[in-house]
Amino acid sequence: MKRAAKAAGVGLPSALIADLRAATSPDRVRVDPLERAIYGRDASLCVGDEPAVVVFPVTPEEVAEVVRACNRHGRPFVARGSGTGLAGNAVPLGEPVVIVTTKLNKVLSVDAGERVAWVQPGVLNLDLSRHTAALGLHYAPDPSSQQVCTIGGNVATNSGGPHCLAYGVTNAHVLALKVVLPDGSLAQLGGLDPEPAGYDLRGVFVGSEGMLGIATEIAVRLMPDPPEVATLLLDFMDVSAGASTVSDVIAGGLVPAAMEMMDANAVKVVEAFVHAGYPTDAAAVLLVECEGLPAGVKASVDLITETGQRNGARTVRLAADDVERDLLWKGRKAAFGAVARLAPDYYLHDTVVPRTRLVEVLEKVYEISARHNLTVVNVFHAGDGNLHPLLAFDSRTEGVMDSVHAAGEEIVLASLAAGGVLSGEHGIGIEKRDLMGHLFSQADLAAQDRLRACFDPDGLANPSKVLPSPSGCGDLRPQVKVPAGAWV
Amino acid sequence: MATLSASRGSTGGVPVSAQGGRRLDLNLDADELATCVACGLCLPHCPTYRVSGEEGQSPRGRIALMREVAKGAAITDEFVDHMDSCIQCRGCETACPADVPFGKLMEETREAMVSGARYQPLWRRLGYRLLGAPRTLRTLSALAALAQRLGLLPRRLNLPHLPLRRGKVPLGSPTGGGEAVWLFTGCVMDAWMRDTHVSTARVIALAGGEVMLPGPRAACCGALAIHAGLRGDAKRLALRTMDAMPGQAPILVNSAGCGAALKAYGELIATPSAEAFSRRVKDIHSWLAPRMSLLPATVAAEPEVVAVQDPCHLRHVQRAHLPVREVLSQFAVVVELDDEGLCCGAGGAYSLLRPAEAAAVRERKLAAIRRSGAAKVVSANPGCALHLAAAGVNVTHPLDLLAKRLEETP
Amino acid sequence: MLPREFSRDLLGLAEEVGTEDPVTPLGGSTQWEVGGLPGPGAREVRVASGILEYEPAEMTVRCLAGTTLAELADGVGEAGQMVPLDLPQPQKATVGGVLAVGRSGIRRLHYGPIRDHVLGVTFVDAAGELIRSGGPTVKNVSGFDLCRLMVGSLGTLGVIGEVILRCMPLPSLSAWYCGSADPFELRSRLFSPSSILWDGSTTWLCLEGHPADVEAQARLSGLRPCEGPPPLPQGGRASLRPSDLKTLTGEFVAEVGVGVVHLSEAVPRLTDERTLALQKQIKQSFDPAGRLNPGRTAWLP
Repeated sequence: MKRAAKAAGVGLPSALIADLRAATSPDRVRVDPLERAIYGRDASLCVGDEPAVVVFPVTPEEVAEVVRACNRHGRPFVARGSGTGLAGNAVPLGEPVVIVTTKLNKVLSVDAGERVAWVQPGVLNLDLSRHTAALGLHYAPDPSSQQVCTIGGNVATNSGGPHCLAYGVTNAHVLALKVVLPDGSLAQLGGLDPEPAGYDLRGVFVGSEGMLGIATEIAVRLMPDPPEVATLLLDFMDVSAGASTVSDVIAGGLVPAAMEMMDANAVKVVEAFVHAGYPTDAAAVLLVECEGLPAGVKASVDLITETGQRNGARTVRLAADDVERDLLWKGRKAAFGAVARLAPDYYLHDTVVPRTRLVEVLEKVYEISARHNLTVVNVFHAGDGNLHPLLAFDSRTEGVMDSVHAAGEEIVLASLAAGGVLSGEHGIGIEKRDLMGHLFSQADLAAQDRLRACFDPDGLANPSKVLPSPSGCGDLRPQVKVPAGAWV
Repeated sequence: MATLSASRGSTGGVPVSAQGGRRLDLNLDADELATCVACGLCLPHCPTYRVSGEEGQSPRGRIALMREVAKGAAITDEFVDHMDSCIQCRGCETACPADVPFGKLMEETREAMVSGARYQPLWRRLGYRLLGAPRTLRTLSALAALAQRLGLLPRRLNLPHLPLRRGKVPLGSPTGGGEAVWLFTGCVMDAWMRDTHVSTARVIALAGGEVMLPGPRAACCGALAIHAGLRGDAKRLALRTMDAMPGQAPILVNSAGCGAALKAYGELIATPSAEAFSRRVKDIHSWLAPRMSLLPATVAAEPEVVAVQDPCHLRHVQRAHLPVREVLSQFAVVVELDDEGLCCGAGGAYSLLRPAEAAAVRERKLAAIRRSGAAKVVSANPGCALHLAAAGVNVTHPLDLLAKRLEETP
Repeated sequence: MLPREFSRDLLGLAEEVGTEDPVTPLGGSTQWEVGGLPGPGAREVRVASGILEYEPAEMTVRCLAGTTLAELADGVGEAGQMVPLDLPQPQKATVGGVLAVGRSGIRRLHYGPIRDHVLGVTFVDAAGELIRSGGPTVKNVSGFDLCRLMVGSLGTLGVIGEVILRCMPLPSLSAWYCGSADPFELRSRLFSPSSILWDGSTTWLCLEGHPADVEAQARLSGLRPCEGPPPLPQGGRASLRPSDLKTLTGEFVAEVGVGVVHLSEAVPRLTDERTLALQKQIKQSFDPAGRLNPGRTAWLP
C-alpha cells in the first residue's frame, strides 16, 4: 500500500518513532493526526488521550521489539484488537503507543486429536470456529461480538458469551500463552500439559486487561460439536415470569448451554433488524439452548417447556432447523447495534447479580431509568445473572449525559447492593475503575496491585486502568494525564 | 478520572484541527453521520479491513474519520487514501444493525473530495468520461484486443481476453407478441462481454419476453462516475439512460453493478419520473425466476456443479441475490461459498486503480472458491467475472450457462 | 453473599496467622509431600470448617476452607448438586487443602480442572491481612484474578480461609466400564465422557448423564460394566501433553485426554527461565520474609 512515511511533526516523539520504525517497518508506524484520533476510541463511550503513535506489528518478535522500544523511551503502550471493548479497556491513557494486533491474525496450528489450536491474538473469535468446523470442533466462548472481536481481546477481558453458562468463560478455554512481558522479555505461561509447574500465571494473565503484557500466541481448547442441539424461544407477558423460569430451570438440576433474555424494547428493535418472528408484543423472551446427547437434550427440552409453561409462558417455540436457530441467535447477538433504531447513542452496562435477585434488580433498573427519563433496553445472560441494561439516548438533548451518568452509577450500585459484582465480561477498564472501591477494600486492591507490579514494575502496560489510583503501597507508576470531567 | 464522551463521534485530547492544514466541507447529513454507534459489527464484512486489519480501512474507522473532518479537522493524505481505498461494496450495510447509510456517506465524501481535495486527477476523469462514449470505447477496445493478440499489452495490466468481434443481440422474440422488456447493455460489458447480452436476449425470448435495446444513448449507467464522486457526470449519464428507455416496460439488467445504479436514479435525480424509472428496473434473475417454467426443460444427465459468487451490488445493495439460485438450481448443482458474500475486490474501476489491494482482497475469495470444491464459478456482474477470471478462475455469467444448457437441450 | 464484614472464624484465622513467625497451613494432610515438606519450626495453622451459605438456585456454595470434601458433598448433595472435587480420602481432605495443592480429580476430562470451580477466595496474606478476590457469581471480571493465583500455590502466598465454589447438577446416572478398547480412539468416538483411564492394557471409562445416553455411549464403547476406577499408583504424578501418553511404559494409570499420569515415583518438573523468575518475583513480593509455608515450593513436584 502506498503511504508516504511522513517525518514526525512538531511535538511528536521523533526518537521513539525512529525506533518503532526500525522495530517494524516505516509504513506500519503511523503518526497522522487523523489516524491517531480514530485509535483513541473503542466501542464504548470512554474517552482517553490520543495515542502518540499507532504501530502494526506482524510478528511476535516485532511486538517484543516495539515493547522494548517503549521501555527505552519510558513510553506506555496499549495493545488493541478489534476495538470492540465496552469499558474503555484499550482506550489510550497517557499518550501511549497503541500496538494494534489485528495483523497478527494467523491460526498457527490445529491439533484435532488433542483438541488444541495455537492462534495469534488478532484471529477473530468466529473465524477460529469456522476454521475448525470441518473437524467437528469449535471454540466455545462466544461473545455477542464474536464475529469481530479478537481472541487476544477475549484473553484480555476474559470474555464471556451466551454459551459460557455451560462451558465457562475464556479462562477455562485458554491452555497456554506466549507473551511479551511489559519489559519486552518473552515467557510462556501455562502449557499444553494439564498441570504446569508453579503458580497459575496463565489464569492470572487472562482477564488482566492488557496490564500484564501482550499475548502473541494463544493455545486454546477446542470443543467437539454436540451431536444434538435444541433451541427454544419462550415468551412471557411479564419479565419476572421469564426470570423465575430461569431460576426454576437451574434449581431443577439443569444447566442449559445458554439462557438469554430480552425485554420488550429489545425484542422490538431486534425484530425490526432480523425478522426472525420474535413476538413483538411480549414483555420478555427467553432464548434457551440445550446441547449434548439426544436423550439428555430431549429431557432438557421437556423440563424447560414444562417449567416455562408453569411460569406462564405464552408460547414455546422450538427452532426447526439450523437456519431458524441462526436467525434467532443473530437477533440476540446484534441486539445492541440494533438499538440505534431507538436513539443514536447508547450506554451499555455490564453487571452480574445472583440469579435469585434478577427480578428485584431488573425492577430497580426500570425504576432508575424511568426516574431519569431514559429508555432502557435489557438483553442479558439470564442464566449467569449477567445483566446488560442499555440506556438509549440522543446525546444532542441538553443535559442528557448527566442523566446517563447518574442512572448508570445507580444501576451499578444497585447490582452491588444485591450481592453482585462490577463486571461479568466487559471488564473494568476506565469505565468502572473508580468503582472498584465499592467492591474491594484497600488491602484487596493493594494485593492486586502487588501482582500487577510483579509483571510490570514500571507501569508501562496499559497504565491507569482497572485499579483506582493510588491503589495502595508501592505504586511506582508514573503519573499519567487523565482528562478532566469525571465519570463518577 | 476519565471522561465519557457525549457520543461516539468525538475523540479526546487535542482537536486535530488545531494543527492547521486543509479543511474540507464534506456536506454530510449530521443525523446520518450520527447513526453509527461504533459497535464494530461491520468490520469483518469489510474487504479492506479484512486484508489490512486497520481501523482506517474499515467502515467504522472511515465514518470516524468523516466525523473528525466534519468537525473541522484538517484533511491529510491518509484521509484521502482511506476514503479512496474503500471498494464501495456496501457489505457493511447488510451487516449494520443500525442501518447506517454508508454507501451514501462515502459517495458524498468523495464528491466533496473531488471539489475540495483535488481528488480524481484529470486522467481518471477522462477514463470515466470514456465509458459514456460507446463508439470511442469500442474502437479503443478493438485496438486493445488487437494489441493483446500481438503481445503488445503489458501483462501486469491483468486484462481479460478481449474480443475482436462482437455478436449481434437478437431483438424481439421468435413468436412475437410477448411481454416487451428493455435489456440494458451498458458500456464495458457491451464492449467486452457482448456474448452475455446475446445469451440473455435468447433466454428472455424463450421465457416470453420481447427484447428492446436502448441504443447508444444509454451508453453507461454512471455507476463508476458516482462511485468516484463525479456526481455531475453521473447525473448526465443517468438522464441520457432514462431518455433512452421510455415507457412502462420493465428494464432488465444482467450486470449487478449497473442494476444497482439504475435502481438508485430515484435518489440521484430525485424527480418523480426518475423514481418511476427506478421502479421499472429489475435484475434479470428476479424477472426470470418466476418464468423458469416457461423455458424448455433443461434436463441434464449430470447437472454441473457451480459455486455462486454474489456480486456485492446484487447481494448488499439490490439485496436480490437469491433469485440467481432459483434460476441456477433448475439445471445446476449450486454450491455456496462460505465467506458470507465478502467482496471479491473487483469494485468497478477499483481493480485497475488499486490493483494490489484488489488482488489481496481477491485472495480470500479464491480461498473460499477452493474450499467449495467447485470447478466453475458463476457471477452476475461483469466486473467480478473479469477480476476473478484474471486470477485463473473459470467464471461464467449465469445467463451464459443457462443459454448454453438450453442450446444443448434437444 | 460477600458480607462486607469478616466472620469471627476469618478474623480468628488472621490473628492466628499473625505477622511474624513462619506458619504452615494444615488441611487433611492427604497430599502432604507435594512441593516439599515444610521446614522445621513452622507453626501449624488449621482453618475452621462449615458450609456458610448455599442456595441451590444459585448453584454456588460458600464454605470455610477447613470443610472436608465429604461434608461439602453431603451439604450440596441433598439438593441434587455436587462440586466435582473428587480427590482421594474425602473424609480427610479439606477444600482449602485441595485447592492449595491444585490437583484435579479423575473426572477432569468432563468437568475441567478444579481451578475452574472456584469463584471466590478469601485468604490471609503474609502481613496477616484478610484479602478477598473473586465473588459469588459465576461470571466475574472485576480486577486481577487472585483466586487463580491461590489455586495451586501450596499456601506459599497466603492461607486460604474461605471459598466460594461453583456447583453442578448430580448426573442422573454415573457408571464405570472397562475393557481393552483403545482409549485414544474412544476419546474421539464418544461425546464428552467424564473420565478415561488407561494403564497400558486396560481402559476404564466413566459415563454420566441421562440413562439412555449413558447406555448408548457404553454400547458404542464396546466396554463392559465394572467396579469404579482402578486404584491409582501413589507417590508420583506426571503432567504430559495428552498426545504423549501413547508412549508411556511401566507402571502407571493415565488420564486420557487430560494428560495427568499417576505414578509410584516423583518426576521433575520444568519451567522456562523467565517464567521461573516471574514466579520467584511473585513469591518475594507476596511473602518478602518467606514466612508462609517455608520449605515448600510451588514449582517443585
